[in-house]
Order: sequence, then structure tokens, then C-alpha cells
Amino acid sequence: MSSRSEIFGAIKALEKREISHPGDFKSYSATKDPVGDFKNSLSIVGAMCIEVENKKNAEARLSEIYPDLQRYASQDVVANGLDLEAVDVLEIDGMFGVAENGAIWLSDQFLPNRVAPFICQHLVIYVAKSEIVATLHEAYERLDGNYADFGLFLSGPSKTADIEQSLVIGAHGARSLCVVLT
Amino acid sequence: MLNHAEASEKFIADAERTTWHDETLWFVRSKRDKVSKLLPEWEALREQASSIKDHTLANLGQYLEEFEAKAQKNGIIVHWAKDAQEHNEIVHSIISKHGGKALVKSKSMLTEECHLNEFLTKKGVEVVDTDLGERIVQFRNEVPSHIVLPAIHLKKEDVGETFHEFLGTPKGNKDPQFLTEAARQHLRGYFLGANVAITGVNFAVAETGEFVVCTNEGNADMGAHLAKVHIACMGIEKMIPKRKDLGVFLRLLARSATGQLITTYSSHFAKPREGQEMHIVLVDNGRTRQLARDEFRNSLKCIRCAACFNTCPVYRRSGGHSYHQPVAGPIGSILAPNFDKSANVDLPFASTLCGSCSNVCPVKINIHEQLWFWRQDLMKEGLAPIGKSLSMKGMAFVFSNPTIFRMAGYMGRLVMRFAPFIVNNSFNPWFKQREMPDAPKESFQSWYKNRK
Repeated sequence: MSSRSEIFGAIKALEKREISHPGDFKSYSATKDPVGDFKNSLSIVGAMCIEVENKKNAEARLSEIYPDLQRYASQDVVANGLDLEAVDVLEIDGMFGVAENGAIWLSDQFLPNRVAPFICQHLVIYVAKSEIVATLHEAYERLDGNYADFGLFLSGPSKTADIEQSLVIGAHGARSLCVVLT
Repeated sequence: MLNHAEASEKFIADAERTTWHDETLWFVRSKRDKVSKLLPEWEALREQASSIKDHTLANLGQYLEEFEAKAQKNGIIVHWAKDAQEHNEIVHSIISKHGGKALVKSKSMLTEECHLNEFLTKKGVEVVDTDLGERIVQFRNEVPSHIVLPAIHLKKEDVGETFHEFLGTPKGNKDPQFLTEAARQHLRGYFLGANVAITGVNFAVAETGEFVVCTNEGNADMGAHLAKVHIACMGIEKMIPKRKDLGVFLRLLARSATGQLITTYSSHFAKPREGQEMHIVLVDNGRTRQLARDEFRNSLKCIRCAACFNTCPVYRRSGGHSYHQPVAGPIGSILAPNFDKSANVDLPFASTLCGSCSNVCPVKINIHEQLWFWRQDLMKEGLAPIGKSLSMKGMAFVFSNPTIFRMAGYMGRLVMRFAPFIVNNSFNPWFKQREMPDAPKESFQSWYKNRK
């Protein structure tokens, strides 16, 4: 007998128990100021945040923040992720932000490669102010029916506290995150 | 092998380090309290998570089948393993098909449970743990002492020494920033060259056939998106029914674990990327056995946040290695007897049954009750150490004989008042690190009789 049928056999042999799913969770933490809460969460998770009228206006601010670094903004597909190893600053579009935790949904449809937001040294993500939801529940509402082959919630730069609980920014992924609110 | 009490004795020999360990973990627990209290619906979320898991465990077969079908449709290759041995063999057979010099692995408690590293190393495969804490303990030939903070038993001086030896960092440098940078450079080389990446799984969604992996460092993604082959290993209890349920669990997980709002990366893997091979290994290894036990089934709800470790007065003062199991702490103590009762008979006793673990558990596992159920089970099977059985029998004898009970109380008071040296010595374990209390002049019973 295969292990698969052994496992299913063991489960099916158990007494049937009727326990229904509790249904979708109704959050009661509403936000009056999603953008303000989102900015607050970004500062907690160690991300920078700048506000601009539109994408073009970000240029001056970004060259101040990353003065001597080359920025890579193309969203054309890069077949081999290793080709992005030398990218200093990657600029990408986030689909929407989550006010309660500073997370931004990224889907591989808008990434040059899945590894892009991890392998670059610094990361810039554009998010529209009109695209901030209150909690993760609203976030999954928004994603309903939108099944990316790969997607993620990204909140802040890569970090670790594995040495004596001292927070260090820049573990294996991006060393810094700058969110540009448009 | 040392039992929990013996290993703890070694750990607490360094009083300063024990205090540091205790306070550091309590600090993590306090951070969890702070962020959880910011959410007005925290308790409702815990209840929801617990109910979803109850429902899932009652319908596990159906959800596993659904997940398998969806994942296969997504192009993921699904494997089933009934035990640790089979899991390891499956992983090894995939690796040997693809070769490669080294394999990068992100954190997976399941692979620790199956002792995968040991198995693969014997077969000549170099396994590189990429989580910083796990890499540190791997260099030192140790195992993680905490499921979220693998190197919490070490001080930065220890890490500095280890990195000096293995990575050639300057002797005496113990700056966490510097050491983390050294590990980043060291591991980047492995990420760029690895053919195969192994990750764990935090949640598997039946509805979509996708799985979610959460990290702060980004190591799981660096490995999985660069390697030609991604192998994800999971216990069958990691299943959740719907994608929307993720909202509940992701809100609870990081807040409970480290007091963060969410982990830096919560990656949803649904399909392999073009040209990539994606495998998922679903492992039983005793889980269906636990599922059949009414009083212990709940333990399968665990989402491995380690909140129960951080709050536990025994864990904080005895360290993870004293539990001699991949998953330590209160949750480990109720999981371990399911694997091997006689080897883990000490663990359900490594608790004060204070109940703090159950109070912080994000999925409301009745951990302290299960510890107590295991004690009864192990005593009934005659597995408890002889000293424990004898003292329990002695207590039962004294407590069931009023005359002897009164006599024993009288003698005890007499001894403590007039011959305290009989109890105030190192033969009495209660005297260690404590003063014995002043003996009362009379018993409660005689006070009650003589009251006016």
C-alpha cells in the first residue's frame, strides 16, 4: 500500500466529526486615516516613505536618498534571476498597501523576476495613496479571484535579530526599502 | 542522554547567562503583549483561528485531497511520506536526480523533526542552512534551541568566535551588524550557486493549492527563486481551507512570535516559475496517530509561533537544549511523547502547569491541560522514573490516612523549628537557591478547632 493511501486510510478510519467553518472574519478595527496608518506602520517596520504628486516627481528625492547608486526601473522580464545580482536599487510597482502592518502586495506579473525584490541591494516600491486597505482581511478581499503564480506581502527591508536579539537591517534581502506614495 | 532536569542543571550553572536568557525571552513576550493589545479584535482572532483549525482537522482528508489536486493542476509535484525516513528518502531522491554541489535550506521545523540534515550529510550532500540563527548553530554542530530564535542560547561573543573560526572574521569582533554582514556575503555565494532549495511551509491553502512561507531575512525566497528545484516540506497539519483564512493566521503569527506586525516576507507560492521544478512533500510522521487522540488532537493546531516558549517560566530558565527535542518548550513537551513516550517521559513534567502557555497561544491550544493529560498517561503506562512513582505513591498513602497525615505535619513542623539543618542542606532539592519557610506553630486543623 502506498504511503498516500496509508495516510488517507488512517484519517478516514477516524470517527466523523461535524465541525463547520466559522465563516469569513469580520474585522472591527476600522481606520479613519488609512494613509496615515500605513505611513506609521512603515516607520515601525523600518521602511522610508516619501510622498510625491506623481511618479516623475520622485526622481529628485530618490537621487537624494540613493546618490551614487544606479537605479533599475524596467519591469521587462529578466529570464535569469542571477542577471539582477548587480542591481543596486530596484524600482517596482506595488499593487496595494495594508495600513495595519505596512505590507505591500507584489505579484510576479509586475516583477522582472520573482527574485528581483530580494536580490537587489535596495528596493523602491511605488504605491498609490488611493490603494491602501485597512487590514489583511480587506487585502484578501481585494485579491479574491486574483491568483498570482507567485505573490507576496512585503513589509519593510530584510532584517534579523538572530544575534542576541539585536535588530540588524539587511539580512539576505534588500538593505533598505523606500515606499513612494503617489 | 540527559533528562530535562539534568540538562537544565547544566544550563543554569551560568547564572548570569540564565538571567539574560530569561529576561530576553520575557522581553519578546512583552512585545507580543504590546502589539496584541493594539488590536481590539485580538481575542476574536484567536477564537477564529482556533475554530478554523478545529474545522480543518475534522475534515483533514477532504482538504488534503483538494490541496493535492489543486497543487498538481498548478504544476507542483506532490509526494506523500508516512514517516521521517520516507521523507528523507524522497528529498534525497529528488536531489540526486539534479546533482549540484550544495543545497540551500531555509527554516523548517519538520526537517529538524526528521533529522534531514544528518541524513543528507551521510549521503554526501552539503546542506547549507541559510537562516542566520540556524547557520550559526550549524557551524557549531548544535541544534536550534528555539523554533523562531534558533541561536537564542548564544551570546554575541560566542557568535563572534564561531564566525572567526568558520568565516575568518577578525578575532574579538562581536558586533551583530558586522557579523550579520559577514553571513550575508558568505551565504549569497551559496544562493547564487545552488541547484536545489529546500523550504518549510507555514500554511498550505486547500482552495488554491498554494503554500505560504514567512521569513524576515528573505532567505527562503533567495533560495527558492534562484534554484532550479524547489522542495517544500510540510506536516499534513499545516493545511487551511481557504485563502481568506490566511488573513486571520498572518495577523496572529508574527504578532505572537516576535511582536512584529507581520513578517517582512509572506510569500505565496502557487506555481513553479518557468523552467523550475517545484515539489511538495506532505509528511505524516505520527500526525494521524495524534489526530485520533481526543485529548491531544488540539496540539496539531500549532502554527509554530513560539509564544508559549517565550512566556514559559521553565523554558526561559532551562534553555531549549534541555528539552532534547527539535521543538522545545511547552508545545514541544506535548508533541514529543507522540513520537516516543519512554524517551520523552521527562518533558510533560518540565512545567509548573501555570497555564501561561495556553493563555498566549494564538490558536488556543490547551497546552497546560495536555501536559497534565500526558503525565497521567505516562504514569499509567508505568514509564515515569522510579523516584517519581515512589514519591507519588508515598504522597497518596500519607494523604489518604488522616492520622499519618497529621503525624507527618507535626513531625515536619518540629524538625523545621528545632532541627532545621535536617532540611536545610544540599540533599533537599527544595533548598537549592531557596530558604526554607518558617514553620507555622500549629496546623490549620488545630487552629480551626481552637478558634473562638
